[in-house]
Amino acid sequence: MNGHPPARPYAALSDAVRQALRHAMHVYRDRPRTAALLRDQLDRLDEPLRVAIAGKVKAGKSTLLNALVGEPVAPTDAGECTRVVTWYRDGHSPRVVMYPRSGAPVPLPVVRRDGALVIDLKGTPAEELDRLVVDWPSHGLRGTTLIDTPGIASMSTQTARRTLTFIDPEEDDTPTEADAVVYLMRHLHTTDIDLLEAFRDQGVASAGAVNAIAVISRADEIGAGRIDAMVSARSIAQRYRAEPTVRGLCQDVVAVAGLLAETGRTLRHAEFAALARLIRIPRAELEAALLSVDRFRRAEGAVADAVDAGENRDALLRRFGLFGIRLGTTLIRQGTTDSPALAAELVARSGLPDLQRVLHTQFTQRRDLLKARSALLALERVLRADGRTEGPLVREVERILANAHEFTELRLLGALRSGVVRLPREMAGEAERLLGAAGPAPQVRLGLPAGSGEAELRNAALTTLHRWQNHAVNPLFGRTATEACHVVIRTCEGIIAALTPRYP
Amino acid sequence: MAPTAPVEVVDFALATIARYGRPDLEARLWQARVRLTDDSVRVLVVGEFKQGKSMLVNGLVGAPVCPVADDVATAVPTVVRHAETVTVTVVRVLNPEDDLAEQRTERVEVPVEELADHVGEGGNPGNRKGLACVEVGVPRPILAGGLELVDTPGVGGLSSVHGSATMAALPSADAILLVSDASQEYTAPELTFLRQAVAVCPNVACVLTKNDLYPEWRRVAELDEAHLAAAGVGAQLFPVSSTLRWQAVLDNDSALNEESGYPALVRYLRRRVLGQADRLGRRSTAQDVLAVTGQLAEGLRAEQAAQRDPESVQELVTRLTEAQQRATELRERSARWQQTLGDGVADLNADIDHDLRERMREIARVAEDTLSAGGDPTKTWDEFARWVQQEVAAAASANFVWATQRARWLARRVAEHFSEDSDQLVPTLRAETIVPQRSVQPPTMREVEPWGIGQKALTGLKGSYTGMLMFGMLGTLVGLSSIVNPLSIGAGLVLGGRAIGDERKRLVTRRQNEAKTAVRRHVDDVIFQVGKDSRDRLRAVQRELRDHFTEQADQAKRSLQEAVRAAETSVKTSKAEQERRLREIPTELAKLEEVRRAAKALLQQAPAKPASAKPAPAEGAGTAAPERVQAG
Repeated sequence: MNGHPPARPYAALSDAVRQALRHAMHVYRDRPRTAALLRDQLDRLDEPLRVAIAGKVKAGKSTLLNALVGEPVAPTDAGECTRVVTWYRDGHSPRVVMYPRSGAPVPLPVVRRDGALVIDLKGTPAEELDRLVVDWPSHGLRGTTLIDTPGIASMSTQTARRTLTFIDPEEDDTPTEADAVVYLMRHLHTTDIDLLEAFRDQGVASAGAVNAIAVISRADEIGAGRIDAMVSARSIAQRYRAEPTVRGLCQDVVAVAGLLAETGRTLRHAEFAALARLIRIPRAELEAALLSVDRFRRAEGAVADAVDAGENRDALLRRFGLFGIRLGTTLIRQGTTDSPALAAELVARSGLPDLQRVLHTQFTQRRDLLKARSALLALERVLRADGRTEGPLVREVERILANAHEFTELRLLGALRSGVVRLPREMAGEAERLLGAAGPAPQVRLGLPAGSGEAELRNAALTTLHRWQNHAVNPLFGRTATEACHVVIRTCEGIIAALTPRYP
Repeated sequence: MAPTAPVEVVDFALATIARYGRPDLEARLWQARVRLTDDSVRVLVVGEFKQGKSMLVNGLVGAPVCPVADDVATAVPTVVRHAETVTVTVVRVLNPEDDLAEQRTERVEVPVEELADHVGEGGNPGNRKGLACVEVGVPRPILAGGLELVDTPGVGGLSSVHGSATMAALPSADAILLVSDASQEYTAPELTFLRQAVAVCPNVACVLTKNDLYPEWRRVAELDEAHLAAAGVGAQLFPVSSTLRWQAVLDNDSALNEESGYPALVRYLRRRVLGQADRLGRRSTAQDVLAVTGQLAEGLRAEQAAQRDPESVQELVTRLTEAQQRATELRERSARWQQTLGDGVADLNADIDHDLRERMREIARVAEDTLSAGGDPTKTWDEFARWVQQEVAAAASANFVWATQRARWLARRVAEHFSEDSDQLVPTLRAETIVPQRSVQPPTMREVEPWGIGQKALTGLKGSYTGMLMFGMLGTLVGLSSIVNPLSIGAGLVLGGRAIGDERKRLVTRRQNEAKTAVRRHVDDVIFQVGKDSRDRLRAVQRELRDHFTEQADQAKRSLQEAVRAAETSVKTSKAEQERRLREIPTELAKLEEVRRAAKALLQQAPAKPASAKPAPAEGAGTAAPERVQAG
């Protein structure tokens, strides 16, 4: 019982949810299906966070997944290629298992071609499959299980339907299997908003947009692959972030050049060498060859010599895209001397670190909260489906909901973001931070530098608390704003309580 | 030495007929002349946003006319046409709430530098300035033939509002270019759009842009062609690269230009689209000139006959008077074509209305079933409302397309009946050119509007089908939300836990009923509004057809009157005068014959640019070429 904040900020909540689940399992012990469902939920609390990667067709979902894992595990292709929901989990050895809708799971052979995984369904139609599960020993999957989904608004409505039921399973009334979603879009379309909305509002513990991040994928293609495409993409992301519609639906918007990130994370020396040879060609000639993909493919003379010596041109285009080749050669010309340096530079410029940072603050740090939320949602559904309105179990769930200030925070955060609750601008920013929008650690909430001492924390927390207490009695505020102030006050009190050593 | 260009032929004819003092016939030729010089060939450039529509227009024109940006760029339709100097004109509808016929527009010329402020999403987000369109005139040879390129805001977009507005503009277009980039194959909405477009527009082409950027563009092109074939859309696909085109324009590099794929597209526009418009122009001009000179020659021949053989004058006059009587009957209400028109419009009105109601009722039925089955509607109301809107908008579009086809068919029937024994040109149905729909309710916004999406979508909604569709829906949305607005956090929490059981069931049923009423009211609003719009449109078509044919009947009647008068006066004239007329008439007839020859030559000539023209085999079979209705 020292004064340091607990290592896992949501441990108490997790435990309470765990207990409620056990209690429920006991209550439903004579109903094996319900009990099994609850058991799953309980197990899920200890598993890595499940993050689904969703988006429209060809938004670059598999490419981004590979970039996040750091290995080409998910097959990518020019046509529509992901047709079955595919889970990528950390495992001891590579393993692929196919789960049909009915019948026992079927293990599939693990085949790799050019380092990439090739999945052969052995002629099973995609419609008959529930999911594929790929176990893959990878550091990138240790903390999170990634779920690749088929594209929405795809030509085959079947494929799209599979994704919708996966993410928004209204139809069969089972809780969603993903704890959080990374939503990929090339630009914001109405269908994108629909899908993001599917994530909002699901039962009691819901809160707008707490578990979704939007990514402008294929950012390198903005502005026809100009060398400054990423700058443009970032400013577009910035605009979306400020847009009320989007704010209400997701935590953050980041721009990522998926292909660049994937290639950067898996760069081979031969590829670096090919790019390095390209820059020896006179600049005008190279630029003329890089005007279009067809020109690059057809180019003869110096370009052909440079490229064909090692890598195949089509492969190079597939790996880098015109933008990647343009950027890569420019970087080498500016003094990037070796393959690892180029890889690092490509990754840095792809925007992947931004995404990883956001994933960390929004998802990984809140892992237990999101997990607890998923589990409570499931439990609530079970109770509702059962028509149970009284009894100790219902009271227990209600108690968790009423006592868990974390949920109130989430809810207010969502309300602030979607504009349901309005505070003056400067206050809203501070309120969001205090409620944990940037991360749950007390320093982050109070806006102090990392490693601040306890005394500083306490001082800051007390000042903030007083300020918000004043806000709460401001007669000019409406009732909702005042209630929001009280939530923030409670948050501040919580921070102080965690700091203050307890005396016997 | 004989005039060959249509305008010259008209001028020649005008000069020749000036001596007959027939202002009604001259007016007809003047109309033809105005049509020839002013009528533009409109090409709509449509597609989802960020596909490179503005770049395509710029590439075609060879000048940076439309603002291009990495973020969503085009907010207002931009019309690019030929002009001697660069001009930018902003067109604003002054009274968008009023009826279509009473809408007035205001045109303001603005400095060229301000173009982006009006057109661009940056300077005019969501068309906040409420512009109907922006017209840009540029001195470019490709536009000199009357080509008019219309750059539209994206079909889908953040608010899919633009979609239906685009739909309404389709029938007035001579060609439609659907722009889609090579990053992916066609999506379902794009194919739906194409299917509707080919139903109302004769020339639909698909443009695959950015093929410089995507290594797999050939595969995407193949996939797209397969989709087109599967959907039964006979549209040609043009892969292009605007980047290469620009570079080619900058460097004046013709090889690069050929590589950009633009020349093929330009050829298509020139030969197929302009060529077709040119043939249409020639045909209708020839028709007008032949009709006018024919009537005059008829009169002269009657006079000639009377002068030669005074005995037969009485018989001639009787014959002519009978003909005149027929012409008079033709313009009476009891004439067959008038009846065809009247009945046809009435039938059409009923059919279209029925079709609309049928479609809407089906939507309402599905919506109500969904609501009954779906539990508390407030949780899914946003998505549900959007679904209803989409369905309703799609149904209204389909109804519109169908109505257009039927109206065209009716016009043909009327023409057929009007003229049983001579070729008769169907007037092109341009009455429906601009269709900015009014909104059902004036856009009243509340001070505190908790619906973020609503606000976003409301901007720039005025003036489109979907605009009005959304308003109806939004109104009900606000109403519903006030009951269950989760404004209070504390209360929300308590409610969340307690509202279970009977209380909850009762609440849910009530909300379901409210939602159903909302849907029904919305559908009713739409039926009312769309129905009114299509009735207005039909009335305009009816009026145009009636005026057109009545005018022709009047002209024929007047010509016959003249002939009767000439024949009658011939009896009273002196011998010397008679001989003079007999000498004069053949010369005059020869002159008219010369004009007629020139007019007939118009029908046979190859399209405007013989050097580059090698007519494609499929040409001429276009559905929009004015049907010549054969006798009987």
